[in-house]
Amino acid sequence: MLFADTVVPDPAVHKPKVMAIMLAASFVIFSLMGLNDTVLGEFMRPAIGEPTESGLFGNLAIGLVISMLFTGNIVLIGFLPFRIQVLVVWLELLLLFLAFFYSFGLDFAFIRSKVWFMISQGVFTTLYISAISITLASIVAIFGAVAKLSSNGFAYAIASFYTSFFRGLPLLMQVYLIYLGLPQLGYVIDAVPAGILALTLCYGAYMTEIFRAGIQSINKGQWEASRSMGFKFGLTMRRIILPQAMPLIIPPTGNQFIAMLKDSSLVSVIGVWELMFLARTLGNKDFKHMEMLITAALIYWCLTMCLEVIQSRIERHYRTISH
Amino acid sequence: MKLNRRIFTFATTAALTLCTSMSFAGEALDRVMAAGVLNVATDANWAPQSFINDNNEMDGFDIDVAREIAKRLSVEVEFITPSWDIITAGKWNGRWDLSVGSMTPTKSRAEVLAFPGVYYYTPASIAVHKDSPFEEVSDLNGKAIGAGTATTFELYLQHDLQIDAEGVPAFEYQLTAENKSYKDSTAAMDDLRLGDGVRLNGMVGSLPAILSAIEANYPLRVLGDPVFYEPLALAIDRGDAEFNDKLAGILADMKADGTLTALSVKWYGIDFSSTGG
Repeated sequence: MLFADTVVPDPAVHKPKVMAIMLAASFVIFSLMGLNDTVLGEFMRPAIGEPTESGLFGNLAIGLVISMLFTGNIVLIGFLPFRIQVLVVWLELLLLFLAFFYSFGLDFAFIRSKVWFMISQGVFTTLYISAISITLASIVAIFGAVAKLSSNGFAYAIASFYTSFFRGLPLLMQVYLIYLGLPQLGYVIDAVPAGILALTLCYGAYMTEIFRAGIQSINKGQWEASRSMGFKFGLTMRRIILPQAMPLIIPPTGNQFIAMLKDSSLVSVIGVWELMFLARTLGNKDFKHMEMLITAALIYWCLTMCLEVIQSRIERHYRTISH
Repeated sequence: MKLNRRIFTFATTAALTLCTSMSFAGEALDRVMAAGVLNVATDANWAPQSFINDNNEMDGFDIDVAREIAKRLSVEVEFITPSWDIITAGKWNGRWDLSVGSMTPTKSRAEVLAFPGVYYYTPASIAVHKDSPFEEVSDLNGKAIGAGTATTFELYLQHDLQIDAEGVPAFEYQLTAENKSYKDSTAAMDDLRLGDGVRLNGMVGSLPAILSAIEANYPLRVLGDPVFYEPLALAIDRGDAEFNDKLAGILADMKADGTLTALSVKWYGIDFSSTGG
């Protein structure tokens, strides 16, 4: 609820006028789609005869049936309580999605033969690269944030140059620059460390700003109180400021982790066998790209959904202890 | 005095850096023999030359050639799969020792890489959609033609293909078309299969790759005769003449005793190893 108040308006789905407009609009749209040569035409065969020869009449009949089902569905869902509404709409959208993929005529035996390798090799690599990178990025971010808040001109200049540079370049370019550029300076870096370094530096720059905002949100009085107790800077940071800033820092950090999980696909260009690389490569010999891309897409989605659940738990945890 | 010393330090550092970045003769060969491992860079998206097979291992014509070379060097082989533009960029810095990746020895590539020898030739052809009206290559003038980026096929479309190898038949540019770049040939074929003129009117690629796509039910057909023959060579980083000669010797042996012919027939059904088509 954006803004909870006591005025409860009648929901739109209970207004006959609104539903009539929706019925008419969906009737026009579905009729114009010309669905009589699809599987829906087959369902309607008893009513409209041979689907391909039914012409305008067939299209209108199918449009009417589908728009009635569509509107009826919405009216029925409108009577359900909020939680069940959410669940039903989610399930219906998911079913539509799966039906959409199913209509591609995918080779499921091929997917079954490859999916375990995609998980054991691809998901594993994706997860460990992301996990190491987010850990290192958090460390970079703490130092970056402290430097950005300091009154030391050098520290501030270096930190702001760093965030400006690494937030200003596309991550793909950073991957290339580190992988191809560092060897020019004499250090030959492997593909996985190069990927981790690029992700760390890029996300470290974004997270510097998150940490900075978190630290800045703590009341000035906290600093003054700890100084009056004789706490030095390090102790104040560890014992007073960071514990209070964490509830503000951790939720956006979880968000960054979810984003990084997907951005780690960019390191596939330097030959790391992570999920995206396998999705592009495994189906290549048999020309089954759609199968592998859709499988990888669903795996990414499942991973991020798990992470979203974990993140909302963490958020709830911090909400309860901060109140 | 102080300034002089600074200049001296700078000069020495610069000289040292230059020395370390220069390759010494025999460096790559020494590295391979010392480690007992030949690191080979290949593209994993290039069936039937190199791809990931049903057992999730690297397989294909290039892979077999690389395995055979490693066997004759009496070392193990390891495969690394960076993207193609990183391989052709050169300056490998010892990340891998050899590319067995069906690379055409062009003049511009010869500036950054060395080519110990050509191991086979493939015809490059033009594919169009099955239902398209085109009959001759020249019909495609001004149309949208796809090719993998940084490939010889794209250079052909850009009229900038200079092949630097012996035994290659001369060719001429038969069409002037709008060049569309793709990540690789397969991506171009994926767009071409959508229909004639939907995104592309045709694509230039290697004949074996086009034929295997047609076998996999891609609605394509080959237009006319091959537009040029492509010599495909081993590639190594510049600066190791000894490694170059060693590989050239192994390649000559493999040609002479029929190993290359056998491998070519195994993967293509045709002997591409010597005739030039």
